[in-house]
Amino acid sequence: MTNEPRDHLNLLAPRSMRPKFDYLHREVQDLAGMRMSRRAALGLGGLAILAAAGCGGSTNAGGGNNGAASQPADALKGKPLEDSLVIYNWSQYDDPSTYKKFAALPDESAAGLKIHETYYSSNDELLAKLHAGGTGYDIVVPSQNAVGELIQEGGLLKLDFNLIPNIKNLDPKFLKSSFDPTGEFHVIKDFGITMFFYQNTVVKPSSEPKTMKDFYGLLNANASKGRTNVLDGAEEVVPLAAMALGFDANTGDPGELDETKKFLLSVRKGVTTISSFGYINDASAGKIILSQGWNGDVRRILAARKKQGDITAVLPTEKSEVWADSWCIPATAPHPVAAHAWINYLLEPATAVTEMNYHSYPIPIPAALDQMPADFKNDPLFNVPASYTDGYQYILNPSPQLVNARTKIYQEFKAA
Amino acid sequence: MTVGPDPGMAAVATAVKPKKRGRSFAPKYPAWLTLPSLLYYAIFFLGPMAILAVFSVSIQSGFGSVTYTFSSSQFSQVNDSLYITVFERTLLMAAMGSLLTIAVGYPLAYWMARYLSTYKMLALLLIIVPFWTSFLIRTYALKIILDPHGYLARDFGIDVLYTKYAVGIGLVYNYLPLFILPVFASLERMDWTLIEAATDLGARPVTAFKDITLRLTLPGVVTGGLLVFIPMCGEYIIPDILGGGKYEFVGNIIGDTFSSAQNWPFGSALSIALMGALSVFVVIYIMFATREEQFGA
Repeated sequence: MTNEPRDHLNLLAPRSMRPKFDYLHREVQDLAGMRMSRRAALGLGGLAILAAAGCGGSTNAGGGNNGAASQPADALKGKPLEDSLVIYNWSQYDDPSTYKKFAALPDESAAGLKIHETYYSSNDELLAKLHAGGTGYDIVVPSQNAVGELIQEGGLLKLDFNLIPNIKNLDPKFLKSSFDPTGEFHVIKDFGITMFFYQNTVVKPSSEPKTMKDFYGLLNANASKGRTNVLDGAEEVVPLAAMALGFDANTGDPGELDETKKFLLSVRKGVTTISSFGYINDASAGKIILSQGWNGDVRRILAARKKQGDITAVLPTEKSEVWADSWCIPATAPHPVAAHAWINYLLEPATAVTEMNYHSYPIPIPAALDQMPADFKNDPLFNVPASYTDGYQYILNPSPQLVNARTKIYQEFKAA
Repeated sequence: MTVGPDPGMAAVATAVKPKKRGRSFAPKYPAWLTLPSLLYYAIFFLGPMAILAVFSVSIQSGFGSVTYTFSSSQFSQVNDSLYITVFERTLLMAAMGSLLTIAVGYPLAYWMARYLSTYKMLALLLIIVPFWTSFLIRTYALKIILDPHGYLARDFGIDVLYTKYAVGIGLVYNYLPLFILPVFASLERMDWTLIEAATDLGARPVTAFKDITLRLTLPGVVTGGLLVFIPMCGEYIIPDILGGGKYEFVGNIIGDTFSSAQNWPFGSALSIALMGALSVFVVIYIMFATREEQFGA
């Protein structure tokens, strides 16, 4: 989930320090040429980095993997299945039975394959770990912007589709995407979109709101009636507003960014909260009258307010955000054959049905979607019609400069 | 030479002189025994600070990566109307929060020290007990009290959640014990017979309080005030939760710069700038802390 709410519980220990520590740990291990405990490494780490700075050294994170990514696509041909698979994933993102069934497949059980899984709570955390040279992972599940970044840095393995025959099950429209134009580095795990909703007993628009721009238009007039909310994060606030104005989500044009900023500041007084965290609970309790939200969350809010029936959910026409999490294999994966086998297994329609029932996000496998219960299959908030998503865009991180500019606009919006 | 005892000499000394009972007040143990503590401090406190300082003069070379140089470019970026506004707001809110903490905390500490005897320790315990619960949980609990549908809003018309007033309430609530404890200690140590003497000599209670109690505890108040002011300036969670994410402190800006922009040099420069701004107040704190040692009650 791109848009995983910020994990406030983790923030008690400043999260910014963690990637730094991990990075240091790695760096010191490299220098020392041996494995050592984190604690031991961090003891020397401060000194090591000082020494590096003293020499004017330059460290480019993610470097060093570049060679591996450009290997021929069929390098794995004929290689045996390994006995281990290390997955680095969002927590509770796959049905527990999927792991058991995968390990029990004939080839996998013959190889004695064991699955190890560790978790992260944000793309920043995943990227920091991989930037710091975190090797040992066979499968990672980055969101679209992180996939783009990792491809740019040469951090991902080119997939060998001979080992993933089930790719034929995937909706062909999801094979290539703006963040991986050749489609060689990722397989979509699931996707979602950004929409909005309002309490129709309180917010009474003069005409039916249809687009994201209509959402922003409702803010100023309704903020006095109750809590209004927009999704948090520089990568949400700015691109969503840019798209509402008809610009490209990832625009770097100074004029367009400036216009986006002015537009955001003009609706600022209509915004009560800027939050991606806890809006499901608050809206379910009837405390939010107008808000943006991700489709999976809005489904839950609608279900919670079913009795009152006072929530109107709107799938925006024109432009909005589509996000996707993907299966990827790091360039340094120690068990690439097992990783391919895993991706292939997850593309089985039967597996996809189990998975969708578990996490409630659509997987673009038509044969699997057909098997879903009617309340999923026929719900446009789950099975979002292509007529909407065709106009939607992935929000990416094209360059550090653009992300810095975006972050500054976001900060000005928040501080205004 | 003078340090190592010579057994022969010592034997002679004891033989000649009557046993001397004097003892040295110099430290008994060698100083290097502090080394583990010093190392801990150097590695886990100075180390991260050094990393921060190195990053702050570096240049961003990509997402979450850094080219080490010596450049002031990050600091010139800090000098921007947006960041200056946020710095001013943070310092102002922390100052208001500290003053309010003093206004709420001083009477409480005074009451505990002057009026309570049997239940003094119980009161002290009740002040400290909230510290046993996570800071985060307590802040969320405050959100329930301040809820627009809650009693405070419905029956008293105090509907301030997601405004700067809620942030202020959160600051005072969370930092109050940190202020009460030093002030209570300084009130406890005060010689109350001075008040009796003043009253005997005809001073009105107000005069006695102003000229004696307040004067003697003022260093404690300043110490306590700065003890809450400084962490308030670095506050991150309270503005995020109670301000609805739209009342940014410097801490929030730094967090965004590190995590979502993955711009470590600029985030470090902002952190160093905040430390610079705060060091002025730390100097005041040290001055008062030293004065309290000399004159304070």
